[in-house]
Amino acid sequence: MQERICEISADEQELVPAKMKTMKTMKTDRQESRGEGLLLKNLGLTVRVSVLTAAATLSTIARADGPITLWYQRGGNPDQQRIMQKDLVEPFNAAHPTTPLTLDVLAGGSGDKKIRMAVISGKGPDIVMTPGPSTTLALVQSDHLLPLDEYIKKYNLDKRILTPVLRTGEYHGHNYALPRTFETMVLYYNKTLFDKNGWAPPKTMAELNTIAEALVAKGITPFSVGNGDWRAANEWHVSVILNHYAGPENIYKALKGEMPWTDPVFAQAIDVLKDWYQKGWFGKNYFSLTGDQQALLLAKGEAGMAPNGTFSFDNMVAAFKQTGQELGVASFPSLREGVPYPLYSIGTGSTMSINKNSANPDAAAAFLDYLYSDDFYDRISKDWPGDWNLPLTSIDEAKLTKNVSPIFAKTFTAFSNAVAQGNYGYTTWTFWPPATEDYLIHGIEQVWLGQISTADYLKKMQEIFAKELADGKVPPPAPR
Amino acid sequence: MRPTQGGTLGVLSGWITRLRDSPVPFLLPALAINVAIILIPGLLTIAMAFFEWDGASTPSFVGLDNFRTIFADPVFFSALFNNIKWTVIFLTIPIAMGLGAGSLLLVAKRGRTFFQVVYFLPVIIATVVVARVWQGMIYNPESGIVGWLKLYGINLADPLTHPPTALYAVASVDLWHWWGFLAVIFFAAFRQVDAAQIEAAVIDGASFFQLLRYVLIPAIRPTITLMMIMTIIWSFLAFDFVYVLTQGGPAYASEVLSTLSYRYAFYNYTMGPAAAVALVISFFGLIATFFYVRIQQREGNQ
Repeated sequence: MQERICEISADEQELVPAKMKTMKTMKTDRQESRGEGLLLKNLGLTVRVSVLTAAATLSTIARADGPITLWYQRGGNPDQQRIMQKDLVEPFNAAHPTTPLTLDVLAGGSGDKKIRMAVISGKGPDIVMTPGPSTTLALVQSDHLLPLDEYIKKYNLDKRILTPVLRTGEYHGHNYALPRTFETMVLYYNKTLFDKNGWAPPKTMAELNTIAEALVAKGITPFSVGNGDWRAANEWHVSVILNHYAGPENIYKALKGEMPWTDPVFAQAIDVLKDWYQKGWFGKNYFSLTGDQQALLLAKGEAGMAPNGTFSFDNMVAAFKQTGQELGVASFPSLREGVPYPLYSIGTGSTMSINKNSANPDAAAAFLDYLYSDDFYDRISKDWPGDWNLPLTSIDEAKLTKNVSPIFAKTFTAFSNAVAQGNYGYTTWTFWPPATEDYLIHGIEQVWLGQISTADYLKKMQEIFAKELADGKVPPPAPR
Repeated sequence: MRPTQGGTLGVLSGWITRLRDSPVPFLLPALAINVAIILIPGLLTIAMAFFEWDGASTPSFVGLDNFRTIFADPVFFSALFNNIKWTVIFLTIPIAMGLGAGSLLLVAKRGRTFFQVVYFLPVIIATVVVARVWQGMIYNPESGIVGWLKLYGINLADPLTHPPTALYAVASVDLWHWWGFLAVIFFAAFRQVDAAQIEAAVIDGASFFQLLRYVLIPAIRPTITLMMIMTIIWSFLAFDFVYVLTQGGPAYASEVLSTLSYRYAFYNYTMGPAAAVALVISFFGLIATFFYVRIQQREGNQ
């Protein structure tokens, strides 16, 4: 029993500080009892044994067998829920019969808030899924998540997950969250239309302008985009323009507080975006179009291109299947000299952590070990490509092509390779603090509609950002 | 058992008798529920308006900073103005429609049940369903009636997507969903009017509008007053249709105080300004309630 307690105090110093406090109290009891009389000594011994028993019981509870829980935060239709049972739950439970996983699927819109509230109130699931680093950061700062460093070492997760993405979970030198959804912005285009006109996907601002103007001349909308069913889609375009015009180096400096968002390079970037909207490149129905409708307009050739996320792959493929035309995917062009091409901005649509109040953190870590395995990735990418796109170092085109369409395989391999080589940017939904992100989404509509100037927009963004930076709410940007 | 004077049992028995005869046991269940789910959260919200809290860390007292923050945010004033516009719309159009339809139901006896069902039907359809039907099947320029009209050369824009029309487009959907409720309430009130009064007016040669103006409306004035006061309170709580249809957009054009409060709380994770906005909403509700209570007292005295 004592050996067991010692083992915990040595191995899990960082992982279970609460238990460590118990151990410290216990040691103090022991030291104090030494100089006392026999009676007191006996009393001290009795107390010590009681404390030891209690601590041992606590440790047994901490390591007890029993189910572990995961609340999937992004909702799922019945088919997707069956896939998760088949690919995620059943194989894990077969290998870990004494610590089976219980999976609850929460509604997409409010799932993250339910998890956050449950975790804050000291309850919630063992494995904490959040919608991204800024939510994780609040839970880390309020001491509700367990540092994962020991588990990362134990399961070699640092070798299995792409380093820049893994490091988005770091806070004060410890890692608290593993990135789950690995996503980026790309340029979808109608390949049939492009081939017919002899166009190649644009790589520079000049090429993009030529194609877009030619499309406008033909009565075709250059970009099939909209926010009808997802208002935050606005930030996809802000992300694209900041990364591909201002460039990732400048964004990194701004996120670190070394450069203000009011810098001319950001102002020029926002002006370009404003110009695209006001020239009609986003079409007439930006505020109405849903994701499905955008994909269909592109697939019908009524629009030529669509800056959109890799998370929309399914939608795009389904729409092009419907029209029989061919889908193309490319990296978004470099919009300013000096900004590299190809460049992929890193997006982490959700993260995985371990609840500090978990009764069984080891089992939760064993689940993370399975989640980030090639075995699981092969299963899930075959059944549900896109959502469980983990940032694994082992992704390669040949392996992926066995399970998914060649165009999906090619895109993700290019993205993974670019990130591995350090050629990456920053999506706003991953690296921006919450209030700045919210203003970025809503304020850009005022810029597009001519209600405020670019300078006013960036000035307010800088004010909100400066406060959040001072309050420690800015997630750590992937290093350069 | 007969209580013994001065004994513990006697004291206990006395307490039980007093408790049995007092209204406290009857008040307790409702009181407990109200304290737990209204008073405590209400007091916490008031307190939260003076603290800075991100929903996870320890709250810190900031005095009036949250109020300074919301008063410095131009969106707060546009949202407040939108709430006032919303109140004016709902104090006039649906109440006029409800009075008109209610009085017609009173006059036209045939098909009365059928029309009551038709008027009331939108009220019982879930908000999200109503909102999605209007958004996807009516307003949408690709899939809705607006899109269908485009095929015949009638080019209409989606009113939800233009700042000048967005709030009115959302209010129209809520209004369609709401006015039938008022029609049925007013019809029920009209039926309580003394038939002899109506008959006398008709014999005296009163037209339909004169009947409405001089007999029916004055007779149901307390009901109309109650509905108007409730409309003011509900208008400052308007959230669901705005949230589902536009989320306050585009460019904050349809933002109302409750969606602003929600955004502060659950998107920005700034609970303090969210609570401050909630207090402003409650302030308008309190004013309406004050007038309602005064009117009630006056009518009680009469």
